[in-house]
Amino acid sequence: MTGEAMAHFWEHTGSRLALATYVALFFIFLLAPILIVVAVSFSSTSFVAFPPQGFSLKWYYRFFEYKPFIDSFIVSIEIAVLSAGLGALIGVPAALVLARNQVPFANAIMAFLLAPLSVPLIVLGFALLFYLSRLGFGVSFSSLLIAHTVVSIPYIVRTVAGVYRGVAQEFEESAAILGASRWQVFRHVTLPMIKPGILAGTLFAVLISVDNLPISYFFGSAATNTLPVVMLSYLENQFDPSVAAASTIQLVLAVAGLVFLERAYGLQRIGTPN
Amino acid sequence: MRGRRYTTVSGWLLAPAALFLIVFFVIPLIANMDKSIALSSIMGPGREQTPYTKLFTDPFYLSVIAQTVVLSVGVSVLCLLTGYPVAFYLVRHAGRWSGIVIFMLIAPLLTSIIMRTFGWRVLFARRGLFNEALLNLGWIERPVEFLNGPVPAVVGLVHVLVPFMVLSIAAVLRNIDPRLEESARLLGASRWKTFAKVTLPLSLDGIGSGSIIVFLLANGSFVTLLLLGGGYLQTLPLLIYQQFNTTQDFAFAAAMSNVLLAVAVICLYSQLRILRRRGVRSL
Repeated sequence: MTGEAMAHFWEHTGSRLALATYVALFFIFLLAPILIVVAVSFSSTSFVAFPPQGFSLKWYYRFFEYKPFIDSFIVSIEIAVLSAGLGALIGVPAALVLARNQVPFANAIMAFLLAPLSVPLIVLGFALLFYLSRLGFGVSFSSLLIAHTVVSIPYIVRTVAGVYRGVAQEFEESAAILGASRWQVFRHVTLPMIKPGILAGTLFAVLISVDNLPISYFFGSAATNTLPVVMLSYLENQFDPSVAAASTIQLVLAVAGLVFLERAYGLQRIGTPN
Repeated sequence: MRGRRYTTVSGWLLAPAALFLIVFFVIPLIANMDKSIALSSIMGPGREQTPYTKLFTDPFYLSVIAQTVVLSVGVSVLCLLTGYPVAFYLVRHAGRWSGIVIFMLIAPLLTSIIMRTFGWRVLFARRGLFNEALLNLGWIERPVEFLNGPVPAVVGLVHVLVPFMVLSIAAVLRNIDPRLEESARLLGASRWKTFAKVTLPLSLDGIGSGSIIVFLLANGSFVTLLLLGGGYLQTLPLLIYQQFNTTQDFAFAAAMSNVLLAVAVICLYSQLRILRRRGVRSL
């Protein structure tokens, strides 16, 4: 090999190798803390150490025995599912209208519907707590549901509008020309085409809601604490592996959701914002 | 000629979403401003100043506001620097591995923020993995009290937010025609020059939207600072949490949350202006 070819070879392979090494290190950084928590959740000691000592499932028993954990876990799931469902019910029709720019100021209205994403959640939670108390909702399940729905709407609108924009309107036109009523067009043509978007948006909203500590924190009471709120107050007082077990259970459920989404829709398109 | 677009839904279907957000998003935020001003005019025992004068004159609170902004900007820059190469790799080199790369990027987003913070606490602890490793290597003689400094909190924030940056940049890089880069290379530009003159300017759009997302999320986060900050970093969200939790001075907490909201809006607006001036149109 001549000197020049050698230099070229190194410039090409060398920089690719450097990039690949960097990316590998990046993913170690990204995944390490998560894998460590999973490992700690199986330890048999009552203090947190890494590498964990011994193997046991006792922290998982503790999760199911400790009433605040299991109660708040149920509240978390109820709130997540209901707020995402309510968000879809309100958000999907709006997304359909806005995706085709069929009203004046469609872009401005879209920006308004996405606005909750740019307000710090702790500000929103704080403001909503006092506002809803004045309206008489107080610290209740309905308050929590309303607060979570405010956050779920933007995610659903954005995802559904994105999908609907990519759908050719000729399908709907053909159905209408062939005599389908508005409802039939919607039910048999539009809905099947945007279903992946609704699914992805709703699942996103569920995942965001389950971990939405800044909002849930303000509506905390024995009956309305969500899992992250209980985990946080637990962590402030003690540092044992039961929080690791709770986290791992949550992780398994979320990954199951993601796998389901991948089967139904394909990750490639969800990974890209807008 | 193209006629009117076919529509299945009537414009009135916007009403529920718009109404819901007006009633439960816009009005509460306005009421919050109103309340902080109304309450702040009441002087009682133990309060000599209104919350806003206290926030903007007391050096402690001025430094809190400054720390909030500096931390958010710093975390955005760190996410950009660490995330860009990953986005580039994902789009240009990952090939058939790209599905797995995306999965590994999204997986942390699905874990509880508490889980990620907990993991870093284990790593940074006095007898944690980092200290053990440094002791074994002989680089330090006594364990370092990482958790009493700003490092774990910054690492934790970058860890939580960098996937948003990578995904935003990757979405834009994917639309850049690789032939543009090839042409620059064929015309004699070096690898770095091609990157600096072709790839980087074309990806400004993704850098912009990624930075805005990361900035806004960093600006509002308090869990990471609460569990990893060790009281070393004081930011507005953290103080709001503490005011609400312990001091229960709601007027002051309301004032702080309005200042935080204003910081978010001002920074968002100026970032958009800078980006537009640099020719980024889609924002």
